Amino acid sequence: MIEERKKFTFSRRGFIRTSALAGGGILLGVNFLNACKESAQPPVNIANLNFKEFNAFIKIAENGYVTIFSPNPEIGQGVKTSMPMLIAEELDVPWEHVTVEQAGLDTENFTRQVAGGSQSIRHGWEPLRQTGAIAKQMLIQAAAARWEVEPYTCTASNGVITNQAGKQLGYGDVVNDAALLPVPENAVLKDPKDFKIIGKDAINVDVHKIVTGQPLYGLDYTAPGMKYASVLRPPAFGQTLKSFDASEAKKVGGVIDVLKFGDKVAVIANNTWAAMKGKHKLTAQWNDTTLESTEDHDAKLNAILNGSKFEVRREDGNVNSAFSEADSVIERTYESPFLPHNCMEPMNFYANVTAERIHLVGPIQTPAGTAKRIAHVLERDEKEIDLEMTRMGGGFGRRLYGDFAEEAALISNGAKLPIKVVFSREDDMAAGTYRPAIKYRIKAALKDGKVTAYHLKEAAINSNMYGLIPHFFPAGAIKNYKVETGNYQSNITTGAWRAPYTNFLAFAEQSFFDEIAKELAIDPVKLRMDLLDNVNDGEDERIEYSAARMKETIKLAAEKGNWGKAAENVYQGFAAYYSHNTHVAEVVDITLQNGFPKVEKVTVAVDCGIVVNPTGAINQVEGGVIDGIGHAMYGNFAFDNGKPKATNFDAYRLIRMNETPKVETYFVENNLSPTGLGEPGLPPAGGALANAITAATGKRMLTQPFIEHFNTDTREVRG
Amino acid sequence: MVSYTLKVNGKERQISADEDTPLLWILRDELNLVGTKFGCGIGQCGACTVHINGQANRSCLLKAAALEGMEITTIEGLATDDTLHPVQEAWKEHDVPQCGYCQAGQIMTAASFLAENPAPSGDEIRQAMHGNICRCAAYNRIEKAVATAAKNG
Amino acid sequence: MDRSYLVFFIPVLLVATAWMSFNGNAGEYVPVTEMNTQDTDAYHTMMSVISHPRCVNCHPNDNIPKRGMEGTPHPFGRDGETSDLSFDVLLCASCHKEENDDFAGQPGAPHWDLAPRSMAWEGLSKAEIAASMLNPKNNGNRSHEDILKHLTEDELVLWAFEPGLHPDGTPREKPPVSEDDFIAAVKIWFANGAVIPQE
Repeated sequence: MIEERKKFTFSRRGFIRTSALAGGGILLGVNFLNACKESAQPPVNIANLNFKEFNAFIKIAENGYVTIFSPNPEIGQGVKTSMPMLIAEELDVPWEHVTVEQAGLDTENFTRQVAGGSQSIRHGWEPLRQTGAIAKQMLIQAAAARWEVEPYTCTASNGVITNQAGKQLGYGDVVNDAALLPVPENAVLKDPKDFKIIGKDAINVDVHKIVTGQPLYGLDYTAPGMKYASVLRPPAFGQTLKSFDASEAKKVGGVIDVLKFGDKVAVIANNTWAAMKGKHKLTAQWNDTTLESTEDHDAKLNAILNGSKFEVRREDGNVNSAFSEADSVIERTYESPFLPHNCMEPMNFYANVTAERIHLVGPIQTPAGTAKRIAHVLERDEKEIDLEMTRMGGGFGRRLYGDFAEEAALISNGAKLPIKVVFSREDDMAAGTYRPAIKYRIKAALKDGKVTAYHLKEAAINSNMYGLIPHFFPAGAIKNYKVETGNYQSNITTGAWRAPYTNFLAFAEQSFFDEIAKELAIDPVKLRMDLLDNVNDGEDERIEYSAARMKETIKLAAEKGNWGKAAENVYQGFAAYYSHNTHVAEVVDITLQNGFPKVEKVTVAVDCGIVVNPTGAINQVEGGVIDGIGHAMYGNFAFDNGKPKATNFDAYRLIRMNETPKVETYFVENNLSPTGLGEPGLPPAGGALANAITAATGKRMLTQPFIEHFNTDTREVRG
Repeated sequence: MVSYTLKVNGKERQISADEDTPLLWILRDELNLVGTKFGCGIGQCGACTVHINGQANRSCLLKAAALEGMEITTIEGLATDDTLHPVQEAWKEHDVPQCGYCQAGQIMTAASFLAENPAPSGDEIRQAMHGNICRCAAYNRIEKAVATAAKNG
Repeated sequence: MDRSYLVFFIPVLLVATAWMSFNGNAGEYVPVTEMNTQDTDAYHTMMSVISHPRCVNCHPNDNIPKRGMEGTPHPFGRDGETSDLSFDVLLCASCHKEENDDFAGQPGAPHWDLAPRSMAWEGLSKAEIAASMLNPKNNGNRSHEDILKHLTEDELVLWAFEPGLHPDGTPREKPPVSEDDFIAAVKIWFANGAVIPQE
């Protein structure tokens, strides 16, 4: 019997209510103040963010139609559809009567307006349903009062309240009465078997606008008098602006002004093209400070791994004595490059800074933090800021960082004009907050056919694994266990990239388990199941993964993916990983085409608890898996004297449709609280693929990207 | 600045722009047709795909000066009146988009492809669509939607 | 397998195969062992351009165009087996215009396209490329005069000497000799009978 490990507590204390709506109706909001445990951690340590609060609004019109304001930024993870589904379920209205609107930044009433860490659904599960249930309760009370009966004798379903005599009132009929009632203490939530919306496919609420090309994204935003800015930034990390000459830039038709701010120069123009052309015509001289190359990073990370300066992040038993008593010891080092995010919509932001107000509009995963940041740099009060969020053409972590919004605000402030900053693709790739280059060295002791010690060292650029990652599997499964980390401080900016750290850690560990399995001559899936048998769920508070749930997930993937029963010339690889509160297992099938791996199929099993919106959930899993395969296979981002070697898609390779496997997704069925899916599908993919390549070629993929291990002329594995 | 007459989505549009302005920016900044997206500016990603005389083409590399007299169709002009193009319908049916940003370009490529090859195989679809990058990797669904559109078209 | 072993043996095998095929087909070009120095120089000058990635990148052997000095795969290859030139859905000329677009870093020249399948040069030796180029079965039934004209006048061929800028603004690499030297060498070589020296 699998039990839930972590529950959120909920209190009505933060409920707010407004009945004075223009045009009538009720506006109900719930504050998630107590919804999150103290242990709920953001994906990265982003200063100035308040992650402890979280909420949403519903508005019921007199015609019974419902508008749900989705508070969280939409980056393609589907929360603009799935979060309102939770409210609509308990409010009990037909999904067709619901309109979803993106809420703006409202630091008074909304908080944790963040897209990050795959946490939106997990944190919203109880409070959003409570919001709907409490509103339903108030509507029932209003109807009961009108009928002069006891509320408990009435029921509500599909937007209609019915009493024992069979009389009916629509929500819209009683909404104005309901708005005057006190907010009830609590409301009873539905039994999952009675769900009508949760668990059914709901198509992306913006799909019609997307397929007909209507304005939705930051880049589509326009305002009266708005000008466009293209920014020249130092071409290399470690450079500062020495001098610049704008005379040629100013001759470009449509260019209005050229403005220096910090080490950057903005060309302001009447349209995007003139701004970009003007920037091309700028000439600048740069001062060099420290200019780092990939070879330097390599040497620094190797020095960390070979040295002794580590921070111990978890230590169980005594790894050293286990190593000295071992029958055999395996040690491997895994290496990954920096990676840019490459959101399809390049970074952009609108700002109109006036003496009275600061108006900001654009694609941002962290609206609250960004508003705070801009208030700080402009030395203004945060209350003067109005921030609107647009749909985002991808996030992947890049839009957690508001550098582009800050640029827009600074330029608008300097030029006294409403400004939209638009990055070119080259700007976007060269001024990134990259996934840091990381190396893992893992060492295992084997004795009597068992793993007796596991020692992992992480050497990373700038920062190390965060939160509970040191307590992920195999923590708890191996008696003598140690995780240590060290970092090298570089001037290259790094940050969160879809499934931070685990996007590479999972590859390293899941590859390593295959090596252990080979050494012990046991099936790799069995090795993982045996290790999980050593874990007692709930014994260690820091261990969030559930061995029982992971075993179910592994079994499902192995069964559906025909593990061990591959067709002739098909080679399989396996990986299983827990991250972002979701358990995932994957079987990758590849073939060799002229010696070159072709990924044919990935079978995925996922335990994310109740699947709120199956169509959206499957889309997230498929995308995460293919993203993981694509970056493991092709993603490479190197520096030469501080300058990225690739700045556009001619030189940086992203996976394309003809390289894409078929992904089959299966969910473990249970009634446990749902968890997120934006990230967890990705981490196991690279490891499962690496293991399949080894099965096919005998070669170990110790470094990413894998394509570097193949000679693309002869398509043979490099010896 | 030079004045041009461009035929966009069946309508004659007067524009004045520098000769070297890519069609992409004329559509977006001058004509306020923002459905055509900017992705890379070098023809690699396909987000800016439009039809020129029915043929899929990259608007980021097309110069305005070369387009007079040609039929330009953008995502906003793909549906006829209120009837969506079968490709758009299929995109909804399969709930294709994640972030959705690349989808206009994907749809324009698919519509042009199906006009030429109305009954493609799976491999032909994968080959034809590989010029368009989807960073969210909704590729499985794009493939299914193109197949459905072929069936229903 | 040790890669140096492959590198050593594959060219040897290829040359041997090529040698046999030249001799086995009447009316085709038989490599000779002795040529005068001027002809040999002209041949090598010409082939230093023709076998350069600027040329070979668009004469692929796998339907996938290549780019750069490394010959990395360029997306949008030939459309399976159905067409002989570029990708059906998106013509090469959709992006590659009549001239270089140095803002976008997009190379351009008239009728930009992949060479037809029969003209696949990727992976061939210089002698094999030269032989294939002269073979009417592979070259679209072109005479010496046609080929001479193609090599010395076609704007797409001569684009190799004005290849424009990369998207990052740096210049694209050029073949090792100048356009004038290339044209002169081609003319000398054809004037003297277009003889392919044995490698």
